[in-house]
Amino acid sequence: MSIPDYMQCAEDHQTVLVVVQPVGIVPEDEFFRIYKRITSVAQVSIRDSQRNLYIRYRHHYLPENNEWGDFQTHRKVVGLISVTTCGSAKEWPQTSDRFHCQKDVFGATLYDSRLLVFGLQGEIAEQQRTDVAFYPSYDDCPDVEKRVEDFVESIFIVLESKRLDRATDKSGDKIPLLCVPFEKKDFVGLDTDSRHYKKRCQGRMRKHVGDLCLQAGMLQDALVHYHMAVELLRSVNDFLWLGAALEGLCSASVIFHYPGGTAGKASGREPSLAHGALTANGISADTSSEIGRAKNCLGPEDIIEKYKEAISYYGKYKNAGVIELEACVKAVRVLAIQKRAMEASEFLQNAVYINLGQLSEEEKIQRYSILSELYHLIGFHRKSAFFKRVAAMQCVAPTIPEPGWRACYKLLLETLSGYSLCLDPKDFSKGSHRGWAAVQVRLLHELVYASRRMGNPGLSVRHLSFLLQTMLDLLSDQEKKEVTQSLENYTSKCPGGMEVLTLPDGLKLPPVPLSKLPIVRSVKLLDLPVSLRPHKQKGLLENNMSSKSPFIYSPIIMHTRGEERTKKIEFRWVQGDVCEVQLMVYNPMPFELRVEHMGLLTSGVEFEALPAALSLPAESGLYPVTLVGVPRTAGNINISGYHTSVFGVTSDCLLDGLPSVRTSGCVVEVIPSLPRLQLSTSLPRSAHPLRPSKEELSSSVSVQLFNGETQQLTITLENIGSEDLETLEVTSKTCNTKEKLFGEFLSWDLEEAVSQLPLKPGQSVTLTVNVKVRLDFSGGENLLQDLNDDGISVTGLPISSPLRQVLKPRAETKPLGSESSKTDYNHVKTLEAVMTFKYSGGAGKMEGYYRDLSLGVHVDVEPSVFFTRVSTLPATRTRQCHLLLDVFNSTEHELMVSANNNQDLVLHPSECQRMAIQVAKFDFHTLPQPDQEAVRYTNPKLLEEERLHAQASMISSTLGITWNIISFDGEASVEGVLNQLVLEHLQLAPLQWDVVVNGKPCDCDIIADCKVGDAVPLEVKLTNRSKNAVGPFALTVVPFQDYQNGVQNYDLQDAVTFIGSNTFYIDMVKPTENSACMGALLFLYTGDFYLNIKFQDDSAGQGKELPPSWFGLPSVHIKALEAPIEAGA
Amino acid sequence: MAVCIAVIAKENYPLYIRSVPVQNELKFHYTVHTSLDVVEEKISAVGKAMADQRELYLGLLYPTEDYKVYPSHMIIVYYTPVCMFFILIENILLYRHTRYGYVTNSKVKFVIVADSSNTSLRDNEIRSMFRKLHNSFTDVMCNPFYNPGDTIQSKAFDSMVSAMMVQAS
Repeated sequence: MSIPDYMQCAEDHQTVLVVVQPVGIVPEDEFFRIYKRITSVAQVSIRDSQRNLYIRYRHHYLPENNEWGDFQTHRKVVGLISVTTCGSAKEWPQTSDRFHCQKDVFGATLYDSRLLVFGLQGEIAEQQRTDVAFYPSYDDCPDVEKRVEDFVESIFIVLESKRLDRATDKSGDKIPLLCVPFEKKDFVGLDTDSRHYKKRCQGRMRKHVGDLCLQAGMLQDALVHYHMAVELLRSVNDFLWLGAALEGLCSASVIFHYPGGTAGKASGREPSLAHGALTANGISADTSSEIGRAKNCLGPEDIIEKYKEAISYYGKYKNAGVIELEACVKAVRVLAIQKRAMEASEFLQNAVYINLGQLSEEEKIQRYSILSELYHLIGFHRKSAFFKRVAAMQCVAPTIPEPGWRACYKLLLETLSGYSLCLDPKDFSKGSHRGWAAVQVRLLHELVYASRRMGNPGLSVRHLSFLLQTMLDLLSDQEKKEVTQSLENYTSKCPGGMEVLTLPDGLKLPPVPLSKLPIVRSVKLLDLPVSLRPHKQKGLLENNMSSKSPFIYSPIIMHTRGEERTKKIEFRWVQGDVCEVQLMVYNPMPFELRVEHMGLLTSGVEFEALPAALSLPAESGLYPVTLVGVPRTAGNINISGYHTSVFGVTSDCLLDGLPSVRTSGCVVEVIPSLPRLQLSTSLPRSAHPLRPSKEELSSSVSVQLFNGETQQLTITLENIGSEDLETLEVTSKTCNTKEKLFGEFLSWDLEEAVSQLPLKPGQSVTLTVNVKVRLDFSGGENLLQDLNDDGISVTGLPISSPLRQVLKPRAETKPLGSESSKTDYNHVKTLEAVMTFKYSGGAGKMEGYYRDLSLGVHVDVEPSVFFTRVSTLPATRTRQCHLLLDVFNSTEHELMVSANNNQDLVLHPSECQRMAIQVAKFDFHTLPQPDQEAVRYTNPKLLEEERLHAQASMISSTLGITWNIISFDGEASVEGVLNQLVLEHLQLAPLQWDVVVNGKPCDCDIIADCKVGDAVPLEVKLTNRSKNAVGPFALTVVPFQDYQNGVQNYDLQDAVTFIGSNTFYIDMVKPTENSACMGALLFLYTGDFYLNIKFQDDSAGQGKELPPSWFGLPSVHIKALEAPIEAGA
Repeated sequence: MAVCIAVIAKENYPLYIRSVPVQNELKFHYTVHTSLDVVEEKISAVGKAMADQRELYLGLLYPTEDYKVYPSHMIIVYYTPVCMFFILIENILLYRHTRYGYVTNSKVKFVIVADSSNTSLRDNEIRSMFRKLHNSFTDVMCNPFYNPGDTIQSKAFDSMVSAMMVQAS
């Protein structure tokens, strides 16, 4: 007896063994169908005795094991059922012979046998035979179960008769010695008459009867017999049989205590029936037997003690290894039910070391598997896994000619739970790895190898990916290299994907996304480039405001972690435009990592991802990677993850499963498509960006201009998008600069461009922009003294001198002081402005979106001319004056300056010359007054400045000074130069005096004619334009004669006489009113006379002196002519 | 002679494992791993109420009674395309090693595997070894830079373990 039955359990002691075997050629599947039906009859209730008979069926049983049948009767084959196919009557005798042959194999022990014949019809089949049943086919055999039941009943009758036979013959005949096969030779020649021998025979027989009683369902009797046997055998030191008797006692007690069975399988035993059988076991049903049974039956603790004892007795015999092993297994099962794992493990330990001689490989596998199962049963999962793994290794041991890789793989898979390993990578994403890494890595390696040898590289790839993904931190550099190399080898045969692999036994291997190759640290969605960013029209935006809280601001921020992820991002993407997502990745591997087809995974919107390939250096730091794609529809897009292909394994890594990834939100709104404009200019692009570039610019241009120059800038806008451009607006903004700017910097006419709209894709439109630079032309104080040596008083009383034009070429006489002073005003100034093109069109326009395109204009302004100094000289006419400008040419070219109505002035480089321009005085009152509203709210200082500015620009435009350098020309403005004093001089006095002689207005250079002897009317008119009332004044007219030699004769009483007073009085004149006084003169002689109007302010009482410049009265020149003598003649 | 000393975290993964024949470390991983079954069984066997007075020393995990030695050496050769592994699964089936267990109140387990051929090792000696191990482990835990749950890399602990292995031999 060499092959143990590891499935044995204590209850098997009460079963009878029936072998079911095919005879001749029987299809395997048909046989097992019949076998299954036969085995369904596992328990038969015997009608008249109300006992139960349990049957154990085997389709394979070694005759060698049968020889131990006397030792333990449940090992004895007592019944045989043969299944055979018989096509015709001719074959029948042969079949019958075969059946008898088979009967002979187990002949000695068989109680009864049956033959089931399938396929035979005809007269033979008509015969009524008890030991043979005929069926037409395997499908047509309705009463197989009935037949088997009859068969079992017949076995019971034999069993019962044997039991009674053995139990009753206590005395009389000599009791035969029962023995096990290996004992037979030991008893040869022994004295059969000795007391010792007789006792041994008695004890063994007692034990045998106990077995039979147990099989026949008489538990009580069995217990009694076993007890007696134990006592008898103990006295004769028959250890093997003593062990068997003890085990029988244990089995009977187990059956009593655990009617549900210890095998753990639903064996169809009915506890109540079993109990019923016990109470009706035929002897007596009174209470004393109940007490007796309780006494005879072992308690749970005792069962284990007795098992231990039995096993130790078995252990004394080398040949009883199988019996010992089976006893261990049975005891373990009992202990498992009792939940005494520690003791069970001791039994199992013992079982491990039972030597059964040389085992075949298959037996070894079976042994380890069963050990593993038993360990599992007692809750020792690690031990169980260990033995399962050993079994798996045994499957592919080098001594086996055909290694069973498939079985090995299957067994290895079963060990996973023991090593607390689950093949779902999701379990590992939560926090760091926990578990016994060393053994887990080993197991995964074995799985990989087994699956490869099994011929399923797909599984190898999956396991290797899993290994890489979950154990990456635990692998050494060398291991990482090896694992990835083998992964690449495998994927060359079978690329890894994201599908769930299902094994034949139903286990599902979930996909393993390699989210650690490379590791992604953060995901950031990028805004579109500035020029492509869509903006929402104002006004439409307002209703978007969330009204969750009534407060405008609250320090309590209600944010949860979950919200952060789904947080919507401020900016928007545009349908049809390339969008970018930036990932910060790093490579944890000690070698270069090539990632191919890295793309985005999105949901919500149709998205065309444009995959990228990248190569990360070994153990790189954080490395930015930009993934791009184009949304094809509008809506909310959710960036749910990314896709990679590393070492031939494609993986979809979802951000939800990667808690370590930082992200500022993954949902962004995609708005309908908008047109796209490309801007090109006639000017070169600017190399340097604008200095205070708070806002990003799409492009910028730069140009170098002389101060005062105007340049045309042609801007071409091309629609490179796919939508029609429908609206276009242009605005400009001058950047904050310290320089004072006069006039409009950028000006354009949009009319023409707008008339070409809508702009189809591919079309372009041009826009011309005038860039005009007019910075301050004033030269500063450092040049002021240069020409300030001629002593001309700027202020002072009117000097009625002839026109003076001062041309003083000073340059050669007085070279400019030093180089440093020159650079002071020679440095280049810059002007910057931003032009914004606001455009929209297509579906995006319907939604209220537009785009901005901004162009930075950068102008380096080189100085051209400077007005170093400005002054005024009164002109001969009171309403005019001379403006003196010291013009300095700061360029390195010859420069020509000209004013409106003046001759040109040529200036050499770095030359300074004075230029005088005669101008009419300005009446600033004609300038538009700022409206009252504005006056009320603006700073008075500002108002004043504005007023000054307006005055200056009026003067400047009147002057119209232009310069010309070779081919450039430009304007020069005096605006910045004029100071308050000069302005005052250029301004018309608020009191306006008009002197009219002989009905003709007079001024300095106008000579009024009159006739001697005629009264010449003289009218002096005062118009008050000041804000206050003026006067009263007294005016005295003093005539004199100028001899042009410096002598003035005031003694003219004889020559001129006044008609009336020579003194006029002017009363108070209210603002905007005028007043006139009349007088008359009579010239008595011919000659040139001048009238000097002297003036006396009588308004002394008011205590306010009016400035003398207000009294710019013209001197009147009158020529008295000889009157034609007509009347007198 | 102690051939392997292991510290196992509450969650049953190794914090520290060191064995004397370094070349066959994996074998001891398996040895210690399977001992955990008994350790857990022993811990759970003691009632919760008794947890305070519980003896930390668990004693022998797998006894070394005179079991018969299993004769067949199983040598499994395991190949991978890139490297060759030879696993020797003679392992505990040959059963020359005795395993002793100890569990702290925070459920950190210590396992000492001793060579059972050396009979001079008495229960007292094992106990004192565990006590020393526990003290040293406490020192490791007191290190403010040690993160509970990380593998132990303390030099002091390491040298103590080495000393224990040498001294016991």
